[in-house]
Amino acid sequence: MTSDPSPSRTRERTRGAFSELLKVQWRLALRQRYIFTGLVLPTALLVVFWAIGRLNPGEVAGSGLTILELWTPTILVISYIAIGLLGLPATFARDREIGWLRRVSTTPIPPSMLLAAQLLLNLIIAAVATAFLLIVTIAIFGAPLTVGVEFVGIAFLAIVEMFSLGMVVAAIAPSQQAAEYIAGGFVFPLMFLSGLWVQPVQVGGALATIMYYSPTGAAVRAILYSVFNAVPPYTTLVTMVVYTVIFAFIAVRFFRWE
Amino acid sequence: MSPSAVVQGPASSCVDSQSGTYEVLSPIYSTAGGINSSRHPPLGRSRGEPMSADKAPGEASVAPTEPGPIVAVQHLVKRYGDLVAVNDVSFSIRKGEIFGIVGPNGAGKTTTVECISGLRVPDSGQIFVDGLSPRTDRKKMREFVGVQLQEGALPPIITVGEAVELFASFYRDPLTPDRLLESLGIGELKQKQFQKLSGGQKQRLSIALALVGNPRIAILDELTTGLDPEARRETWDLIEHIRERGVTVILVTHFMDEAERLCDRLALIDHGVVRVLDTPEAITARVGGVRVRFVPSVPVDDSTLRAIPGVETIERKDRYITVTGTGDLATSVLDALRKAGVSVSELEARKGNLDDAFVKLTRNAGPEERDSA
Repeated sequence: MTSDPSPSRTRERTRGAFSELLKVQWRLALRQRYIFTGLVLPTALLVVFWAIGRLNPGEVAGSGLTILELWTPTILVISYIAIGLLGLPATFARDREIGWLRRVSTTPIPPSMLLAAQLLLNLIIAAVATAFLLIVTIAIFGAPLTVGVEFVGIAFLAIVEMFSLGMVVAAIAPSQQAAEYIAGGFVFPLMFLSGLWVQPVQVGGALATIMYYSPTGAAVRAILYSVFNAVPPYTTLVTMVVYTVIFAFIAVRFFRWE
Repeated sequence: MSPSAVVQGPASSCVDSQSGTYEVLSPIYSTAGGINSSRHPPLGRSRGEPMSADKAPGEASVAPTEPGPIVAVQHLVKRYGDLVAVNDVSFSIRKGEIFGIVGPNGAGKTTTVECISGLRVPDSGQIFVDGLSPRTDRKKMREFVGVQLQEGALPPIITVGEAVELFASFYRDPLTPDRLLESLGIGELKQKQFQKLSGGQKQRLSIALALVGNPRIAILDELTTGLDPEARRETWDLIEHIRERGVTVILVTHFMDEAERLCDRLALIDHGVVRVLDTPEAITARVGGVRVRFVPSVPVDDSTLRAIPGVETIERKDRYITVTGTGDLATSVLDALRKAGVSVSELEARKGNLDDAFVKLTRNAGPEERDSA
């Protein structure tokens, strides 16, 4: 009993513990309807913009794109904002606040595995939301978008970017309540910069530039290019990567397990 | 072990010499021992080892064959800023015993066990848990040390079954979750969410999570705080079952009746130092003193009582006067009051219990101050 387990057995058990963690968290997410975090608002927005597009057919501000086409990337990013900023940090701050992380850290499993399972779960939820929103947009509303490897890569980067900002909130917030307030402070500016109220092509000038170089504006722009089979300007990708690195650095720097 | 911090003493001689002297006139103060019901079946095991818990209650006992210490704490110091929470604490715990860490709130009990379990890093001192260091062998140690934290917090919507199965997946050689829950009397709660459990049920789940890894050492912190008397008694039975399985139990509590009932030995920690370390019986016999309660025929003032040799404290409640102290207290009180022309009725005398010993040891004051308190 005191003999060391073989490395392969330990690995196997670690995998078992991780999949068990993921399974339990998935069930909890279903039970508290957490799964809808990134679905309800974006779906409602999608319907609204589809309806507006029906009433105002034609291209927007000389962009060559309809309202639905132009706003779909924005709506996808809003889904990532909801999951990354409203869902993830509150759950994590709560787990820390109630002592769940501490409880887990008395077992052979490190609490980092709990965090990893939570990140993976939220990534899956974001992927489900993305698939659902695209199916509605393309199959039901008939928008001529293409989904390729480029789109998947860029969407993944956008999700990681929002998650790392969410982890900043989780790192600095002392409680679930605080996490919700702090995240709330980020959400509206990020939604605005993603073009929810007005798209950069409509405003132009300095505001458009600010939007293009914002965390969500860059993501929307890169996604927009990719769903029309175009190569996005490299500045959009660089902007996203730089923000992700900065957010991740701050999150790691201020992170607390207890 | 630092000799200055630990009061050593020959336990049996104290008990014998005192029990002959004082007659216990009323049983009402006697501690409620002997409740050894086995309402719950033995704890579940996944593999085929024979279960010592199959023995009849009371038959199984701590292996007295001089086992070496399974936990050794040497000169442990832990500070939080300027506050010295634990100040040079040393003790060792024998394999298979229930070792109590008792003391008032904020005495440093939880900090001590958190250092043992590796949740906190000591500022100085050495800790060995089955030969391993909680600091450097954290991961290995967690395989065989089960911990029940003071606030056993789980996500509110997780079910009992999910929590126990999840924790079972963390360990190399876990107990079977279903059998464990069954043996803890919460088998029928598998589908119930954590937030809907009663205090006692939460506590049982918390014990289940501490035991599901099939640990050799279980650290249980403030196990029965907030439980009703019935639930407390049931929890005590559970702890005795755990011990019968050969698990060494470290029990943190501020309830003296709990420590008296369960612990083989206990360390009383106060202001971060060990005031005494011994069996509950030995501590009680040596420090607990005597307690005499009576109703005087006419009012008696404190100065008369304080003049009686051996009297240390005086308490009044309704018609009753209770004096505590040392020596042949009942006889002294009776003699002195007879001389003062006071007759006494409803006399009860008993040896002080652990609670009395605890109060004496943690009150760092002389007899005069105690009287006025």
